[in-house]
Amino acid sequence: MSDRLVKLLNQLWLRASNKQRMPMLISRSHELKAGALCSVMLIAALSPGLALATLGEPEASVQSDVAQLQASFKATTPHTNFRVHEIQMPSGTALREYVSLDGNVFAVAWNGPYMPNLRQALGRYFDSYVAGAKLNHLDHNHLQILQPDLVVQARGHMRSFYGRAYLPLALPGGFNLGELQ
Amino acid sequence: MRRMTRVVGEGLGIALCLSALSCGGGSGKLAPPGPPPPPTGNNVVSVIVDEGPLPTTNATVNTLYTTITVCFPGSAVNCQTIDHIEVDTGSYGLRILAPVMNATLNLPVQLASSGNSLVECTQFVDGYSWGPVVLADVQIGGETAASLPIQSIGDPRFTTVPADCSGTGTAEDTVATFGANGILGIGPFELDCPVCETQVIAGTYYSCTSTTCTGTTASAASQVPNPVPKFAADNNGTIIQLPSVANAGAATLTGTLTFGIDTQSNNASGTETVLTVDDEAELTMVFNGTNWTQSFIDSGSNGIYFTDASISTCTTMGLTDFYCPGTNLTLPLTIQGANGVMTNNLTFLVGNAQTMLSNPAAANYGVFPLLAGTNPNPQSFDYGLAFFYSRRVATAIEGATTTAGTGPYVAF
Repeated sequence: MSDRLVKLLNQLWLRASNKQRMPMLISRSHELKAGALCSVMLIAALSPGLALATLGEPEASVQSDVAQLQASFKATTPHTNFRVHEIQMPSGTALREYVSLDGNVFAVAWNGPYMPNLRQALGRYFDSYVAGAKLNHLDHNHLQILQPDLVVQARGHMRSFYGRAYLPLALPGGFNLGELQ
Repeated sequence: MRRMTRVVGEGLGIALCLSALSCGGGSGKLAPPGPPPPPTGNNVVSVIVDEGPLPTTNATVNTLYTTITVCFPGSAVNCQTIDHIEVDTGSYGLRILAPVMNATLNLPVQLASSGNSLVECTQFVDGYSWGPVVLADVQIGGETAASLPIQSIGDPRFTTVPADCSGTGTAEDTVATFGANGILGIGPFELDCPVCETQVIAGTYYSCTSTTCTGTTASAASQVPNPVPKFAADNNGTIIQLPSVANAGAATLTGTLTFGIDTQSNNASGTETVLTVDDEAELTMVFNGTNWTQSFIDSGSNGIYFTDASISTCTTMGLTDFYCPGTNLTLPLTIQGANGVMTNNLTFLVGNAQTMLSNPAAANYGVFPLLAGTNPNPQSFDYGLAFFYSRRVATAIEGATTTAGTGPYVAF
């Protein structure tokens, strides 16, 4: 345990509890791979109450986001294999929701002076985000969560935040992550 | 005087390079000439980069700390000196983890305009810190600010976190999760939430009773401010000066934080490059032929974070967003201020994160100048604390006038 790398990783991503979590996550990913999109859509369809949330939810949830966040709808930008809805929050922060052609939100991105409500934006993935962020203390200005079913990457500093979250298993075919910003 | 010193410093640098048979990542280029000798005076406080307040369980890297003293307002005896307060040029305000404060300190809570308690949800990229705004007489080195609003993070008097605060991320309310006993936010602005003066912004300031909280506006005077403009003197900015460090790193690095710019003989401006920053405290870094317009120099970032797909990332689980090149890379960088001023031919070094962190000799290192990683923001180059190594970096507060220019700016 004298190795600095071990110390750092202990502090960051690979605490003892996480070592137990990792195999669990991986096995869950196999299940997800079998029918990720189906299960996402099925859960959404069976649980309309969940539609408050956005990531992994049907496109209609974008409208409830606007209401929940007391935000204004700014623009929809169509692309070949997805479209982007942009929401402007009163704080000046913008939230963009990426929707595949089959109508599901597969990614969200934000930038602006204050953090968006990620519980709203990440929906059922929020708890996973919080758990991942707890294992990720490096500095206060960057965050990366890499899980089979969820990726969150954020950077910035007080008064200027930037981040994105996406579902790797739900990305439209040929989607370039460079377009997610 | 400073020019003379720098020449001497360069000569020393050459001697060290020759004796070590390598310099600047093998490129043969000299490292920056290095800062002048550390200043002394009543406006100077010592700063250190080490493994943080919990080195065995929560060791930090490239994190700069200082020591402060807080007193109950008006009291000369009900005081406490607290070490390992992170020095952060990327945020605003003094915040202390409540568990490290003596119960007898019992700092009084700031009131919201409602007459209830003013409690803040401080947003960081990786989480939030919840706690009341309290008043304290603050002493840092020889500088003092009376009845300064500071935040008491994780204060047991306010344990119910509003949903739109906890909705911004994960809680960082303990020394272990925060990585410091507190944070001293001394960036180039005065306030952490200027828009909160007139607008209720979700996840920022709250008016709280003992059981419930509602979002509130907060006047500039009631917010948790950058302490520097609140000092009685030397209040227009700061200068952080750190010595050079070997590429492989070091256990600790000790330097100085000087308050004021051009207010005393030890903080005079010279011939440094003055780069103003925009209203997000950002400037442009030119790297790989691209203008990265949302870039910043930040003592609170513990690596050099930028994206270059041509540099290999590490394969070790947990380090995959850090760079692991085969050899140390020396890369060119130009920094351009909002005023259009550009630096001349800077270079920076990127090392192999896995190699440096696995080095048995580095088991207790807190300083890794070549630690660099990816940045998901394609328009941002985040040059962290390593920028301050071997430099004297001034940060002028917005609106402040020095002989070198008008803030907000950084100069080095």
